[in-house]
Amino acid sequence: MPKSKFLPRGRKDRTAVLVDIRPTKSAKACDIFLQVRPGKDFELITILRALIKDQKVSEEAVAETGVSLEQCNDLVDRMKKAKFGCMFFGMGLSMTRGKHMNSAALLTLATEMNAFTKFVAMPMRGHGNVTGADVVMRWQTGYPFGITFNRGYPRYNPGEFSTVDVLVRGDTDAAFIIGADPGATMPQPAIDHLARIPTIVLDPHITHTSKLSRVHITTSVAGISAPGTAYRMDEIPLPLKPALKSPYPTDEEVVRRIKDAIAKKRFWMPEGEQMITAQI
Amino acid sequence: MLRITGGKIFDPANGIDGEVRELCVSDGKFAASVDGGRTIDAAGMIVFPGGVDVHTHVAGGAINFARAMTPEDHRRTQAFIRSQSRRSGLGGMAPTTFATGYLYAGMGWTTVNEAAVPVLSARHTHEELGDIPIVDKATCVLMANNEIVLDLLENGEYERAKNVVAWYIWAAKSYGVKAVNPGGVAAWKWGKDAKQLTSAIEGYSKLTPGDIVTQLAMICDDLGLPHPMHLHCNNLGAPGNISTTLDTLQHLEGHRAHIAHSQYHAYGGDDWDEMRSETVQLAEYFNTHPNITTDAGAVLFGDTVTITADGPWQHLLYKLTGRKWGNLDIENETGCGIVPYTYRPSNLVNAIQWAVGLELLLLIKNPWQVFLSTDHPNGGCFWRYPEIIQLLMCADFRNECLTKLPDKIKGRITLPELDREYTLYEIATAMSAGPARALGLHQKGNLGVGCDADIVIYEEDDDVARMFSHPRYVIKGGEIVIEDGDIRATPDGQEFIVKPSYDPGTDEFLQPLFEDCYTMAFENYPVEMERMENPDIRDCVPNS
Amino acid sequence: MTLTVVNNATCTFCGCVCDDIELHADEIKIHKAKKACVLGTAWFLNHTAERKYPDALIDGKEATLDEAIEAAATYLHEADMPLVYGMSNTTCEAQRECVALADLLGGLLDSHTSL
Repeated sequence: MPKSKFLPRGRKDRTAVLVDIRPTKSAKACDIFLQVRPGKDFELITILRALIKDQKVSEEAVAETGVSLEQCNDLVDRMKKAKFGCMFFGMGLSMTRGKHMNSAALLTLATEMNAFTKFVAMPMRGHGNVTGADVVMRWQTGYPFGITFNRGYPRYNPGEFSTVDVLVRGDTDAAFIIGADPGATMPQPAIDHLARIPTIVLDPHITHTSKLSRVHITTSVAGISAPGTAYRMDEIPLPLKPALKSPYPTDEEVVRRIKDAIAKKRFWMPEGEQMITAQI
Repeated sequence: MLRITGGKIFDPANGIDGEVRELCVSDGKFAASVDGGRTIDAAGMIVFPGGVDVHTHVAGGAINFARAMTPEDHRRTQAFIRSQSRRSGLGGMAPTTFATGYLYAGMGWTTVNEAAVPVLSARHTHEELGDIPIVDKATCVLMANNEIVLDLLENGEYERAKNVVAWYIWAAKSYGVKAVNPGGVAAWKWGKDAKQLTSAIEGYSKLTPGDIVTQLAMICDDLGLPHPMHLHCNNLGAPGNISTTLDTLQHLEGHRAHIAHSQYHAYGGDDWDEMRSETVQLAEYFNTHPNITTDAGAVLFGDTVTITADGPWQHLLYKLTGRKWGNLDIENETGCGIVPYTYRPSNLVNAIQWAVGLELLLLIKNPWQVFLSTDHPNGGCFWRYPEIIQLLMCADFRNECLTKLPDKIKGRITLPELDREYTLYEIATAMSAGPARALGLHQKGNLGVGCDADIVIYEEDDDVARMFSHPRYVIKGGEIVIEDGDIRATPDGQEFIVKPSYDPGTDEFLQPLFEDCYTMAFENYPVEMERMENPDIRDCVPNS
Repeated sequence: MTLTVVNNATCTFCGCVCDDIELHADEIKIHKAKKACVLGTAWFLNHTAERKYPDALIDGKEATLDEAIEAAATYLHEADMPLVYGMSNTTCEAQRECVALADLLGGLLDSHTSL
């Protein structure tokens, strides 16, 4: 961990607290481990929000979370005494009971902590350059995911335009899959639909999805044999420096060639207005 | 090749005020004469140099965070529909990159300056700028809260600080230096701010915001940057901040500077209830100090999203409004906050802000010193500039708007006493020739032979807002990009950068400091030249 | 055999995207990934420059790249509601092309984030 002017001893000047439903290897790397009962994240965060504002909480409510009042009070005390606090959260919070409500509660706790000291929160992003996908989609379309262009401009509605929902409903009639293997990770009804429609896969390997696809194209590996850019989870862009030369083309080149081939075909939308001043 | 005949030319850079003249364009530049090519008959029309926005936020981590925070606005705003050759886009408070280009060009603006770039995410800013079509771009890099620079200034190492600033500008492939709330954003890491020019900054024993102002302005002059220090003063938005602003201007000690969005820095009174306009004092300072320029940072009523490197101010704005708040800390370099906001005429503070922006534009006498801006998107969206032009050109319209403000505003603003109306020549100066000169872009905002053929042609119309919202033709680098309200072409713009000279030992000095404090590899930090899309390296003229 | 060394290489296995990895590689594979964690080491050492797979497959049969590109373009162009999905294990440059593709198609665009 970096040493700095204000934290000259690096890791020793920092306090790390882990909250999880079981003691993992990360618990050993942290100074304090709090074992929360599965599905009780929202309750625990809400209790912390009450405690930082010196509000009373019932012993029973605290007991339900699996963390003791003493531990909660100690945590709140440490948070308030911190000069700069940061909360990291992952899928254990956002994909369990409560889902986005849990994330919202945590972000609110971080916001409210700023009444006492500097506090921020940041999601721990998963695979590789998923942050880059977010960033690029936002600047080109305004939205981070779950987008449709079916009116000729971007619209956004997770639940309606998000992939699992679209596939399970059987809405989409062709799929282009890149840098992902939904055939290995998605619910069975979604996979079944991918097998029913023409699916096209770009991947360095023959994946589960490749095996159910109509077209597979082998491409080079980002950062190993393909150059470019990837975003770190705090949205800092970093250059990729491939150590190997791949016999396969890059994703960028293949997508561009497919796009150019489509651009030569008849355009799907008739000529009309260039712009609408307000969407209704 | 192109010839424009019969139009009334407004070209303040060459002192031409409405004369009917012919313009010839060859190879993207104005020429003395031209053979063949298209002729535009501009009889009865008004010809301006393309607009230049000296201060806007259109690309990079901050505006992209604002896009993420405002999907509800994207869903209701202007939509640009995909064509076979042109990308789709959304306008609104935080437009997408493609829409940003279409909207700027659509109202005749052809050059923009992205005014706040952290070095650490400069690579991101350039990627976005590459996706903004049509307009040319410049950037300013954030320096006034960079810990390495601040440590050097604290220790009195001016020469080394100068070299480090030059190194950072080139690492970011930037064009100028931006100072935001000098010292205050560094203090925000501790939840503090810096409001007094002469008090030591949190975390430092003697360095003050005033020291940073003086020395960064001097560094920009000594490096000979085409654009002087671009300064967002301390204590933005707070009642009574006029004293901070005047104190800041005195700390320039005669150096050149561009003062960003002065509207937010010209308030009197001790609290929100007592807030009043202090534009007379501030305008007087500009009127007697020709070495400094400013942009208005005017406020327009309606919805917007505020984004600024001024983290502590944004926390305060969140507390005042209770709306969404996003905060980004950019390691040792700077910070950023984002809060959606609605300016309402019924709100006394907002009404004062609206008046203050216009007062500055009207009270600063020389249009070469005060430029059109809303500090997009902070005071309002850039695509609403024609509304400001109308307010500046039509005193009757202004007075009509004044009647809608709360009664309590009486005695707190100067606007009702001002009857000045901008002429077309003055508008052309404040929207194009002036900001181009302040940016040191002498080939812009100028219809003279050899300059870039960026032109906007309006059909004369008594409805000023309509005339400026819907140019008949917009020409960028000699190519017709807008005609009769349609987008005809979306060429890529250029990006202006500078390479100020610095001591070659600067890398060796920075590397160990960098490896101690930063989270990325020193080697991976500078933006590679080959990543830049259409870069144009402009000259620096250093003081010897 | 001497190995080429790439300093400050960037690892894209997880969202941390460490950029201080020292890679030692020959023509075919990476032999050492200094400073990488267990996950990063596996990521770098398990990908090679070998030609392990065909350039492309159409309906499970080997095809050329050109044939596969034309087949992909035809399927996507013929669809009423094509979907562009994924984009995690790829570069921003490819992601930009993917957004452009969905925009051109008038289709759906989504990433891992929605999973």
